[in-house]
Amino acid sequence: MAHLQEIKPEKPYTLSGSETTDIALFVRTSSEDVSSWNRQKIVDALVRETYIDGDTAEKVSAEVEEMILNSKTKVITAPLIRELVNAKLIEKGLEQTRMMHTRIGLPIYDVDQLILHPNKENANVPHGPEATNLTLAEGIKKEYALLSVFSQDIADAHLRGDLHLHDLGFIDRPYCSGQSLEYIKKFGLNLPNSLSNAKPAKHPEVLLAHMVKFAAALQSNFAGAIGWDAVNLFFAPYLVGMSDREIEQLAQMLIFEFSQQAVARGGQAIFSDINIYWEVPKHFEDVPAIGPGGDFTGKTYAEYLSEAQRFAGALFNVYKGGDGTGRPFFFPKPLVHITEKFFQTEGHNNFLNHICDVASEKGNTYFVLDRGSTAKISECCRLSFKLEAQDFADAREPWRMRYCALQNVTLNLPRLGYRSNQDDTVLFSRISDAMALAVKAHEQKKVFIEKLLSIGEKGPLALLTMNKDGNPYLKMNRASFLIGMLGLNELVQFHTGNELYASKDTLKFALKVIAHMHLVAKKLSEKHHMKFVLEQTPAESTAYRFAKLDLEHFYPEAHRVVKGNLERNEVYYTNSTYLPVSIPINPIERVRKEGLFHPLIEAGALTHIWLGEKRPAKESLANFVLKTFRHTTNDQIAFSPEFTNCNDCGKTERGLKDRCSYCGSQKVEGITRITGYFTKISSWNKGKIGELHDRYRNQEYFSEALDQKVIPVRKVSNAE
Amino acid sequence: MARHENSIPIKGFLETSFLDWPGKIASVIFLPSCNFRCPFCQNVTLVLNPQCLKTWPLPEALQRMKELKDWIDGVCITGGEPTLQATLPDFIRIFKKRNLLVKLDTNGSNPHMIETLLKENLVDAIAMDVKAPLEEISYARLTGVPVDLKAIKKSIDLIRKSPVEKIFRITVVPEMLTEEDIYRVAEDLYPIDKLLLQQFSPENTLDPQLKQETPWPQEKIEEVQRQVDQILTDRKTKPKDGLQKNKR
Repeated sequence: MAHLQEIKPEKPYTLSGSETTDIALFVRTSSEDVSSWNRQKIVDALVRETYIDGDTAEKVSAEVEEMILNSKTKVITAPLIRELVNAKLIEKGLEQTRMMHTRIGLPIYDVDQLILHPNKENANVPHGPEATNLTLAEGIKKEYALLSVFSQDIADAHLRGDLHLHDLGFIDRPYCSGQSLEYIKKFGLNLPNSLSNAKPAKHPEVLLAHMVKFAAALQSNFAGAIGWDAVNLFFAPYLVGMSDREIEQLAQMLIFEFSQQAVARGGQAIFSDINIYWEVPKHFEDVPAIGPGGDFTGKTYAEYLSEAQRFAGALFNVYKGGDGTGRPFFFPKPLVHITEKFFQTEGHNNFLNHICDVASEKGNTYFVLDRGSTAKISECCRLSFKLEAQDFADAREPWRMRYCALQNVTLNLPRLGYRSNQDDTVLFSRISDAMALAVKAHEQKKVFIEKLLSIGEKGPLALLTMNKDGNPYLKMNRASFLIGMLGLNELVQFHTGNELYASKDTLKFALKVIAHMHLVAKKLSEKHHMKFVLEQTPAESTAYRFAKLDLEHFYPEAHRVVKGNLERNEVYYTNSTYLPVSIPINPIERVRKEGLFHPLIEAGALTHIWLGEKRPAKESLANFVLKTFRHTTNDQIAFSPEFTNCNDCGKTERGLKDRCSYCGSQKVEGITRITGYFTKISSWNKGKIGELHDRYRNQEYFSEALDQKVIPVRKVSNAE
Repeated sequence: MARHENSIPIKGFLETSFLDWPGKIASVIFLPSCNFRCPFCQNVTLVLNPQCLKTWPLPEALQRMKELKDWIDGVCITGGEPTLQATLPDFIRIFKKRNLLVKLDTNGSNPHMIETLLKENLVDAIAMDVKAPLEEISYARLTGVPVDLKAIKKSIDLIRKSPVEKIFRITVVPEMLTEEDIYRVAEDLYPIDKLLLQQFSPENTLDPQLKQETPWPQEKIEEVQRQVDQILTDRKTKPKDGLQKNKR
């Protein structure tokens, strides 16, 4: 595309029809050779890339040539020539042609900055050459997506910050993927374009190797999370006869393998989730188990309960210990499903205490609360899929259980508020319009991905088209399209004058907003025959981006509600449907009130309880989890402690400290959850830093002395 | 609600705590005043100047506990030193009547009150803070006042023999208690199931000098806790030895 052209005076070349000049133009092409200046190339490019007619193209090229000749420039580059052509096109009013002919690239200064400084948009990307490649590629693909995949109204809405199209840099991949081990247990590791193919694993270590490699392959084909269903259960047939020591060794290998994958694509760890069950889930009870060699063992999964439980226990032993320096493992994230059957399964008390011990010590455990007969598979920060009738049929052959979300689009809720002048009717109609726009964006992404998939095994997404069981790996007809929301609290605050938790009325209004979104998503799903579901966007950088843009463009409205520190520019909106992170509210009230929104957010929701330094007793946390299950509609909870890791002595302690308590060194690194995962705080963006300062760490509920207990604001109402 | 007007003033109310009663979610009620002046005490205002703290209306606390009834297993009565309040049994009855479990935190200086509460089945758990090895000099140093050790020992005995849930705790104050001291306390308290080590925190201590002290590292506490557990189980398996020491 981009020809690099240089002017080299020492090699004279006479341009056709102009003998007066002694300037010689040599063209260095993108294929790294040097050819002579040829005006025809401009014409060819214009005709090839746009809908312009030949005569106009001739005219444009001649004028550009003249301009170059008249200039006193000694050095000229291909991007510059292309931009000169674009300038001519604008002069002639050929805007559509210019857009098609435009180029994507980065200023030298930007590239320099990228190579030297870390990326703060995604804290899961460490700094290094691989990471720079990733960021550069993402930059180009993002621009490509906005110019070429999405229509201008969508691209403009994104750039203005009305909505956020997530993972634009991964435009040529779906968003996230959930599956089980059964696929590789049955089919082995047999991927398109791979150098060698492996038959189904015969040994647990080999199965683990296949799992890790397959996860890496999937990571290169999806933008986000890779989730694994019932990992402990599907490993179980391979664990028969193994000693506790051997099982723990395998658990250790699994967790280290996933947590140390940060040497792979873009230097990024695979954002991986493992779902764990204490019981054998009902829908897997009578399913024939696949064992070593990919053969059916002749037993059902119900008969592997003991191995599955031992493996689950071992995994949490490893989480409890942390890594080589006692830090919590960042990945894979363990999601434990708490169900009615969980409580009917022997040993659940001990197991619950065990995972609560890990939650209190290291914070890893996610408690997924599956009430009633719903079964869910969870992935990403909090994304989960509820299993439906078709899924239960698929569950008979669990390798068929593959799920994906194609894209996530998040709405800037506070901005909809600023534009509605406290008028309910206007607000709700603006919400509907914004959702229709999000749906349009989803349709455009779907068309683009379908185009890539249609090339089949020679195409870029060959892996997702591989067909081993009568269906392509990616089942497009089962894909979800996510609609996220950001800053519900600030919307409510602007619209009603009070924050979401302030009274029964504001909470009710907030619920009305989300119920409306839920309903509109349903209606749009029927209309478009696509599955649109609400999601609590993790909004690691979007919370900052929206707040920053609104402070610029919506004065003084945004200034009244934005959270964080305005002076230091550490600003953010409250995530999704959360209560503000700073209010000193009883964690019980938090799980209860935030839980009211969860049934409306089908793609999954989560409540964070920030722990700071304190280590509540595991029995107390277990008690809390149990009561959250019984007395609320909350979908998922996680407890988040904070850590300080010393770069000098390598020791890890609890709490965020300025200096190491062991050796006094100030070279310390803070670690805690950013959104749905743990990272080093030094990699956080400004908005998240602002949020970290504000986080209420429930100290009064986890501290024994009255003088350390900040007695909570009494007028936090008890609205239902 | 007028009938509660003369109740003990509630000087601090925490609707739910996850720490004060291991395994339970409990409301915590702080009662004023204390007869000890432990230099590491963190409820300084409550002990020295309870009049400066707002009094929580009892009905408000009860209302809140009613709203949270699905979540709360019980109530912790703590202080200060609750057993200094002559009307404590009546006060506790208010909660027992509402079917709440009650845990009492005490320093053990008032065995008579403990005896009454046990006799009338008013408590479901007692947590006693043992401050130092059971001899006068150590105890005086760690509590800041002269202490009648007979009373302390009587309380320990009452609690040990009672059928309620019992928790013995000791705060590990650096520079004031050594590992050896902790092991001695374990020996002194036997027969008990558990002596729980509590981390010292240098924030807001009664003796400002202690704000400079660095708490023991977590690993050290865990290690000493293991040793303490070992001592208590060893004693169980060698009962003779235990009897001799008890006679001392």
